[in-house]
Amino acid sequence: MAVTPRTVEELTRAEKPRSRWIGVVLHFVRHRPLGAVGGVIILVTVVVALTAGLLAPFDPLETDYAAMLAAPDVSHWLGTDAYGRDVLSRIIYGSRTALMVGLGASAIGATLGAVIGVASAYFGGRVDLVVQRVMDVFFAFPVIILALAVVAILGTGLGNVILAIATPMVPRCARVVRSSALSVREMPYVDAARAAGFGHRRIILRHMLPNVIAPLLIMATAFLGEAILLEASLSFLGLGVQEPTAAWGLMLRGAAVEFAETAPWMAIFPGLAISLGVFGFNLFGDSLRDALDPRLRTQ
Amino acid sequence: MAFYIFKRLLAMIPTLLGVAVLIFILLRVVPGDVVEARFLTQGSQFQSQELMDIERKKLGLDQPMWKQFTTWMGGLARLDFGISMWTGSPITEEIKLRFALSLQLAIMASTIATLLAIPLGILAAVKQDTWVDYAVRVFSIAGLAMPSFWLGILMILTMLIVFKWLPPMVFTPLWVNPWENLAQLIWPALAVGYRYSAVGTRMMRSAMLEVLREDYIRTARAKGLWLKLILSRHALKNAILPVLTIISLEFAFLLGGLVVTEQVFNLNGLGMLFVEGIARRDYTLIQALVMLVATAFLFVNFLVDIAYAWLDPRIRYR
Repeated sequence: MAVTPRTVEELTRAEKPRSRWIGVVLHFVRHRPLGAVGGVIILVTVVVALTAGLLAPFDPLETDYAAMLAAPDVSHWLGTDAYGRDVLSRIIYGSRTALMVGLGASAIGATLGAVIGVASAYFGGRVDLVVQRVMDVFFAFPVIILALAVVAILGTGLGNVILAIATPMVPRCARVVRSSALSVREMPYVDAARAAGFGHRRIILRHMLPNVIAPLLIMATAFLGEAILLEASLSFLGLGVQEPTAAWGLMLRGAAVEFAETAPWMAIFPGLAISLGVFGFNLFGDSLRDALDPRLRTQ
Repeated sequence: MAFYIFKRLLAMIPTLLGVAVLIFILLRVVPGDVVEARFLTQGSQFQSQELMDIERKKLGLDQPMWKQFTTWMGGLARLDFGISMWTGSPITEEIKLRFALSLQLAIMASTIATLLAIPLGILAAVKQDTWVDYAVRVFSIAGLAMPSFWLGILMILTMLIVFKWLPPMVFTPLWVNPWENLAQLIWPALAVGYRYSAVGTRMMRSAMLEVLREDYIRTARAKGLWLKLILSRHALKNAILPVLTIISLEFAFLLGGLVVTEQVFNLNGLGMLFVEGIARRDYTLIQALVMLVATAFLFVNFLVDIAYAWLDPRIRYR
C-alpha cells in the first residue's frame, strides 16, 4: 500500500502530544459544557489559593476592634467578623485550607485504598476474603462518625483532619479498585510478570496499579469535593482546623450563627465559598465519569 | 429462598462483631476516660488519684480489656445495652426519645429525597443533553455541594428575617402534637432530603439512560406506544431498583450521621448524643449507638437484597 505524503503528515500531526491534548480539552469543553464550567471553577480556586497573598486586601488574621461586625462596604467588600477580621480575605486564604485538605485526603485515601484493593484482588482466596470482611466493618460506619472517631484519637489540626477524612475513603476506594483489579489480574502481562519471577510487590505496584488508574482518578475527583465538605463539617463542630486559621467551615461556627440576624454576611459568604468550590469539583468529576463511561455517551 | 435469608442473617454476625471490636478498641485509644472528663467539667483542681480509682472501679474500668469486652458482649447477647457511664441511667432510656426524633427525620428526609430524585432523574434522562438536563444536573449537583448545615442556617435566617418566625426549638412527638412536630422537623428534613436526592437523581438519570437504549423500549416505541406509557410501564420499573437501593442505604446513615444538621437546628437526636458521648468519653453509650447504626445499615442492606430477588425475577440466589 502506497503511503501518500498527506497521510504521513496527518499522522505526525496526530502524534504530537501538545496538539492532541488541546484537542482533548476542546472536545471535552464542546461536549461537556457543565464539566468545563466545573474545570474553570477548580482553576479559579487553585489560582486564588496560590496567589492569596496578592489578592487578599487584608491580613486574614488581623483583628480590627474598631470595625467589628462591619457590614460590607468599599473597604471590606464582604464585611468583617466578630473580631473585625475581613471576611473576603479569610475566604481567599480559606481556599488554601480547603484545597490542602481536599487534595491531601484524596491522595492519601486513594493511594492506600488502591494498594489495598489491588493487593486484595491479586492475592485472592483467603487474603481477599479477610480484607473484604474488614472493609465491610468500615462500611457499616457513617462517614462523619468514622472521621470524628479518628479526630478524637489524633486530636484536631490540619494534618490530623486530613488523616481523619482520608480514613473513610480507604475502604470505598479499595472496593472500587478491587473490582477492576480482578479483571486486570487475568491479563497475560500479569502472568508474564509472574513467569519472569518478579516479586509480589513489584507486580502489584508496577504492573497492576497503573492499569486501574482510571476508576481511581474518577473516585478521587469525586472525593475531593466530599473531603472539602467533610472538613467544613468537622471545623463547624469545632473538631477540625482550629482558630485562628482561615477555613471556610470554621468561619461558619460560633459568632456567625450567633449574630446571623444582625450580620448575615458572616454566615452567607463562607458557605457560598464552600458550595461553589465543591460544586466545581463535583461538576467536573461527574462529567469526567460520563465522558469515560462509554455506556452513557450520547448516541 | 428461606435458606438464603437465613444465611444472610448469619453473615451479619461476624461483621457486627468486627464493628464491636473496632469501636471498642478505638474508644480506648482515645486519650482520657469518663472519670477524667467528669472531674474536668466539675472544675476540681484537687482531683485525687484515689477518688478517680474508686470511680473507675464502680464503672468496671479497672477490669482488664478482654473482660470489659466479654461483659459488654454478654450484655448485647441478652439485648442489654447497659448503663450510661456519664448519667448512670439505662442506655435504652437515653436513646429512646432521641431515636424517635432521628427515625422520623430520616423517614421524612428519605421521602423527600425519593420524591425529588425519581421525577427529576427521569426528566433529565428523557431530555438528555438539552437545557432541561443541564438544569436538573446543576440543581442536583448544587444540592450535593451545599453543606446541609449551611442550608439550614440560610433557612433559619430567611424565616427569621423575612417571616419573623422561628420553628419550635423543643421536640414534640408526632402523636402529641403533629402540627408542632412537623413545624420543627420539616426544615431539617428539607435541607437533608434535598442533599440526598442529588445522589438518587444522578442514579435515576444514568439508570434511565441505560434502560432507554434497550431493545424492548425501541420495540415499544416502534409499535407506537405513548412515551408516557413506555416510561411508566417499561422503563421506570427497570430503572428504579438502583435508585431505591441507594436511598435506602443512605437511610441507615441518616439515623446516626446527621451530627452537624442536628446542631444547626438544635435537634436532640442520635447524632448530637454521639458527639456529647465522645466529649464525655461515655464508652457504653457510644458503643451502643455505633452498634445501633451498624445494625440498621446491615439490616437495610439485607432488606434491599431480598427486595431485589423479589422484584427482579432475573436475580436468583444460591
